[in-house]
Amino acid sequence: MADTPAIRTEALVKRYGRGGTTALTGLDLTVAPGEVFGFLGPNGAGKSTTIRILMDLIRPTSGTVRVLGADPRSAPEIRARIGYLAGEFVANGRQTGRELLTYLADLRGGVPAQQIERLASAWDLDLTKRIGSLSKGNRQKIGVIQAFMHRPPLLILDEPTSGLDPFLQQQFVALVREAAGNGQTVFMSSHVMGEVQQTCDRVGIIRAGSLVTIEHIDDLRKRALRKVEVHFDSDAPTLSAAGVSDVTVDGKVLRCKLSGDADALVKELARHHVVDLISEEPELEELFFTYYRHQEA
Amino acid sequence: MRVFWKTVRDNRRGWIGWIVALTAIAAMYASFYPSINKPAMADALNSFPQSLKEAFHLEDYTRPENYFAASVFGLLVPILVAVFAISAGVRAIAGDEEAGTLDLIQAQPVRRISLALQRLLAIVTAMAVLAGVMCLAVIALRGPAGFTALSPGRLFAICLQLALFGMLFAALAYGVGAWTGRRVLAIAAGAAVAVLGYLANTFFTQIHSLKWTERLSPFDWYLGGEPLKHGVQWGHAGLLAGFALLFAAAGTWRYNRRDITV
Repeated sequence: MADTPAIRTEALVKRYGRGGTTALTGLDLTVAPGEVFGFLGPNGAGKSTTIRILMDLIRPTSGTVRVLGADPRSAPEIRARIGYLAGEFVANGRQTGRELLTYLADLRGGVPAQQIERLASAWDLDLTKRIGSLSKGNRQKIGVIQAFMHRPPLLILDEPTSGLDPFLQQQFVALVREAAGNGQTVFMSSHVMGEVQQTCDRVGIIRAGSLVTIEHIDDLRKRALRKVEVHFDSDAPTLSAAGVSDVTVDGKVLRCKLSGDADALVKELARHHVVDLISEEPELEELFFTYYRHQEA
Repeated sequence: MRVFWKTVRDNRRGWIGWIVALTAIAAMYASFYPSINKPAMADALNSFPQSLKEAFHLEDYTRPENYFAASVFGLLVPILVAVFAISAGVRAIAGDEEAGTLDLIQAQPVRRISLALQRLLAIVTAMAVLAGVMCLAVIALRGPAGFTALSPGRLFAICLQLALFGMLFAALAYGVGAWTGRRVLAIAAGAAVAVLGYLANTFFTQIHSLKWTERLSPFDWYLGGEPLKHGVQWGHAGLLAGFALLFAAAGTWRYNRRDITV
């Protein structure tokens, strides 16, 4: 059953308490095996609620959930094949890192000790220290290690790098890519667009409890706005071309935003003497902002 | 049984501390017996008003079964056992949940019921070990402290009922915590039953209209049948164990169905 989705939800609804807030209003989501799926949305949109339902920490009000082909509620054993990491990783602080990791490994049916040691040294973490004495970043490292140590077929990560510095975020991106290379499925909510751009195949954007859109990251990148700066040898001309917007002229410098194909702009520029041409990597962040805002209106 | 052993391991220092301290208190009271067993003491007691004697269950302390029921196994020990049991029971689910650390463990391949019951079982075991150690310590003092009139069987009987008494409070705090996920509610329920149960067994007995409450008190189920004189009171033991099972079952049932709070 190679094509059983790693994650599938249908018409998933979650209401908290009697007459309480509705966190999910009918979420339909399918994540294929082997894919790296970015789950994005503003705070309170229902990202963590979805993830906690997938882990059977909370129960849906209605709708169906399948994780690795099984219902999480009636099949707790599937959790041995999931690596779960919450952004705010908390564990009893009176035990050492090694005690906790060994316990979790035992609960999942065992992990080779050298696998734990390998990850700990790769992440420069002292396993003999009590968790309570570690810094927030080092605690989050324990969270990362416990999620990846048993090489699970499915990783469910809820804003995993929120406690990590930029260097460790980069190391985390490498770890996710390595997992993807091994054919592991990754379902990751995130606010850090850089890591989403670097790791994900597809992204889904959730707003107010349901999916707004699902897109391939490449398609998004094509549509994303990139900032372009052109330096001329004389006063910059005002120009217009397909895909160009927000043109501003400042002496010899022209700044504009470009979406999609650059051909029309380049052909237009070719009629002038161009000293320098700077084009930034497209920022998906701005595109997401337009999605977030658009839906609010 | 991994959760069971991990619970024992995580709590070993605290639990051993409680067991040592409570055994020391019981042993201390027991070793005072020779200084009580004097005629002057009996005269002093006889001068107290009858109602006060009833409220505090003061009787002829020169008889070891009376002295032990009031001192060693009376006042301080059951109250401290209840405190120990409530604090352990609260932490099993509600304390862990409010600290945010339950999420990680429950995201492992362990069924909710299995996790909860293994933790409760660890606490029940701690109560049994506590009563067992205390029982052995007091039995060992029979010769040195001169209360050989009290048979080991009778001492075992009261320790058994003490263990069940502790399990009742542990199960109550566990059950309310597992049902609600809230520490403060679990503590409040345990404390309310302990305080009301204590009052029902002491001062309420002096108020005619409230005298019936004594029969509902866990303190009465523990000590009221005078196990030091009459051996194990199976009816009372059944009440203690039965309510413990009821609280444990209700809490576990609800915990298996509800959301784990963040």
